[in-house]
Amino acid sequence: MRFLLVLFALGTACAQDRSPDGATHSDWPHYGGTQLSWRYSALDQVNTGNVKNLVPVWMFQTGDYAENLQATPIVVDGVMYLITPRIQVFALDAATGRVLWQYKYPTPRPGKPGGMTFLQNRGVAVSDGKVFFGTTDNFLVALDQKTGVEQWKVSVDDPRQCGCDITSAPLVVKDKVIVGGTGGDAAHRGYLTAFYTKNGRFAWRWYVIPGPGEKGHETWKGDSWKLGGGAPWMTGSFDPALNLVYWGTGNAGGDFNDEDRLVPGAKGKEANLYTASVVALDADTGKLRWYHQEVPDDLWDFDSAYECVLIDRPVNGQMRKLLVHMNKSGVTFVLDRVTGEFIGAFSTPEVQTWISGITEDGKLVGRIEPEAGKVVNTCPSATGAKSWNSTAYSPRTGYIYAPINEVCNDLTSTPTEANEGRFHADGGFTLKLPPNRTTYSHLDAWDPITRKRVWSMPYRYILLASVLATAGDLVFSGNPEGDFFALDARTGTKLWSYQTGAGNRGSAVSYSIGGRQYIATPTGWQQAITGAQLAPLFPDEHWRGGSTLVVFALPEVAK
Amino acid sequence: MKRGAFLLLAIPLLAWSQSSGEKVFAQSCATGYCHGARGAPAGAPRLAGRGFDQAYITNTIMRGLPGTAMPAFGTSLSRADLAAVVGYVASLNGIANPTVTLGPGPGAAGPAETPLSPEGERGRALFFDAVRGFGRCSTCHEVNGIGISVTTPIANIPADAAALRAISTPEVRTTTVDGEAMPALIVSRGKTRALFYDLTSVPPVLRTVDPGTLKVVDGSAWRHVSVIGAYNDAELASVLAYLREAIKSQ
Repeated sequence: MRFLLVLFALGTACAQDRSPDGATHSDWPHYGGTQLSWRYSALDQVNTGNVKNLVPVWMFQTGDYAENLQATPIVVDGVMYLITPRIQVFALDAATGRVLWQYKYPTPRPGKPGGMTFLQNRGVAVSDGKVFFGTTDNFLVALDQKTGVEQWKVSVDDPRQCGCDITSAPLVVKDKVIVGGTGGDAAHRGYLTAFYTKNGRFAWRWYVIPGPGEKGHETWKGDSWKLGGGAPWMTGSFDPALNLVYWGTGNAGGDFNDEDRLVPGAKGKEANLYTASVVALDADTGKLRWYHQEVPDDLWDFDSAYECVLIDRPVNGQMRKLLVHMNKSGVTFVLDRVTGEFIGAFSTPEVQTWISGITEDGKLVGRIEPEAGKVVNTCPSATGAKSWNSTAYSPRTGYIYAPINEVCNDLTSTPTEANEGRFHADGGFTLKLPPNRTTYSHLDAWDPITRKRVWSMPYRYILLASVLATAGDLVFSGNPEGDFFALDARTGTKLWSYQTGAGNRGSAVSYSIGGRQYIATPTGWQQAITGAQLAPLFPDEHWRGGSTLVVFALPEVAK
Repeated sequence: MKRGAFLLLAIPLLAWSQSSGEKVFAQSCATGYCHGARGAPAGAPRLAGRGFDQAYITNTIMRGLPGTAMPAFGTSLSRADLAAVVGYVASLNGIANPTVTLGPGPGAAGPAETPLSPEGERGRALFFDAVRGFGRCSTCHEVNGIGISVTTPIANIPADAAALRAISTPEVRTTTVDGEAMPALIVSRGKTRALFYDLTSVPPVLRTVDPGTLKVVDGSAWRHVSVIGAYNDAELASVLAYLREAIKSQ
């Protein structure tokens, strides 16, 4: 312990000179583990040799079965902070599950009917003695970390107007808490907003869609920029050495038809900036430093809102600060996170028809686009080769671990008028399983530098849970049948599995208290949106909902 | 009160048409992630041909299904839209010529739909204008069910833009917490907690503090003019026209 403290002190002193440590240690302090979003724990008490002995040590039933339990638990100094879809926040003794305090959000303002507000919550952020979270009615709230008493609350937007809300975990960056919203598929102009952790006062807002006079505004037709979507609805990353915040942005709206939003002659070029992009913002001011648009003129609902994994790795013999980013299409971009320079890309689904390939400079080629009046089949589907559930990265193997689904869809494209706050998909999708397969997903290990798939564990249904990697060379995830399992991080061999009793659609974490390593996973299959949309593809299965956190450790005697 | 009693009270019958019902359903229910078009299954279950009876359909649409993602629409759709969508879902379930009665339900009245004059309409758009971000009026004022009710409901409408700028705000008081003075609107001062809006920056922040740490004195340097800079005189005139029409009709 003393040794670790010395290391931390050194790390603080020379933060400018060393690559940041993306691993978690005894705590799980941020949504993505650390602000580098590796979802990797440096704990190795549980490892490939003893994982077979792993047993459940406590469980916590939230009692909120409105939707499944999607939140990533946050663990700080032996206390776990967990949030449910109806905004109940629990502080639990992370060694026993005993409730230290609980908070229940009052009845929220209703959302706009036909808007895109969701009964989901993917986690809290903890910093500055406070617990921060977004709500189904678009407030950002801060509780006292010790007591659970509300400290401040600020309205980010009115869900009755924008048809948007907050489902993602906020990201705390120094003295600010940054949060994005949903609503990219409702007619709405997406943004990120930063508030001071101390008192909730406004710090900055960055609109995904540039306003008149700003660069990029010219990529929008007419007034379409006002309601053009792009909501950054998941959680970003932060590089303290560069003082840059990284975030993925959502698709432009309407999703499946670009008639209203595409400038004439822009087909095949950058369009509708900065939707379906990865952006780097100055952490203090929210000013755009660079961007990379992954899916110009997105017509497949392949928004790029997912996690930005920040890693330092040699490329062609030279150490580079990289950002690895997968969007919903399963195409994964490797960028230089200092400049945004494109370094490489690879596509993860086995069945991919929406493009024929990606050029050496990162352009999508052979796009098969939805067309008004036709039904166009493309793979993967709008539910994503990967959904919002997160990948993991292990610095020991150098691999990104990703759950990938093999599902296609029939797209229709119907131009409709954008009405503020109303769903504005301009078409729809019907999910189809690709023919001649017996497995419809796989958990993969990818080397982001060689862009090679190292191993792949096929699964007969679909995978919608996040991945956790540990220094015990283990990869943890779960499936809709309720199995929470551990794989060998180097080979993909299944080493352990436990039936948790309900489908897995959550994000597991690891932490330690008093020298004992714990692995905690939320359970409960999603009853709406992606989970419910995919389930009917397998009509004989009945994946169970629920809202229980299951926590594992090695038996005391086996330590 | 039993549901049956609701239905007996629930006069008058509301007219609806298949096309209006289909339109409301498409905009509010068949939203891709929820139900499918014409009641087909999608993210949410199939609604067509399920054998639902009229009372179940009405009750579910009005009150939602607690414990699921199905929201209550009774307070958020207008009565005309509610009648149309209830009638439409009934028709999907083989109920011929459904007679739609909504009952007095929770807040079923919905916002009044008095048509606005062209200037009032312009003012409405400005009042809620998302392009102005936190600079819009609805950051602090709620009108017709939209906006954040930081202040008490607008009752007295100033005569013109100059009067709106010069409006007196005695309810804004100087509040000191942890040695920092700030303009504040006190919401409540209980024994254990005090709630107030900190108006230092927009949007206002609702703060909860220990009443013992709070010091409040009358008067503040805060002025309404400092938060309406996103609008010019002509725009403010339109906003006032809107308020005169909307608030009279409430």
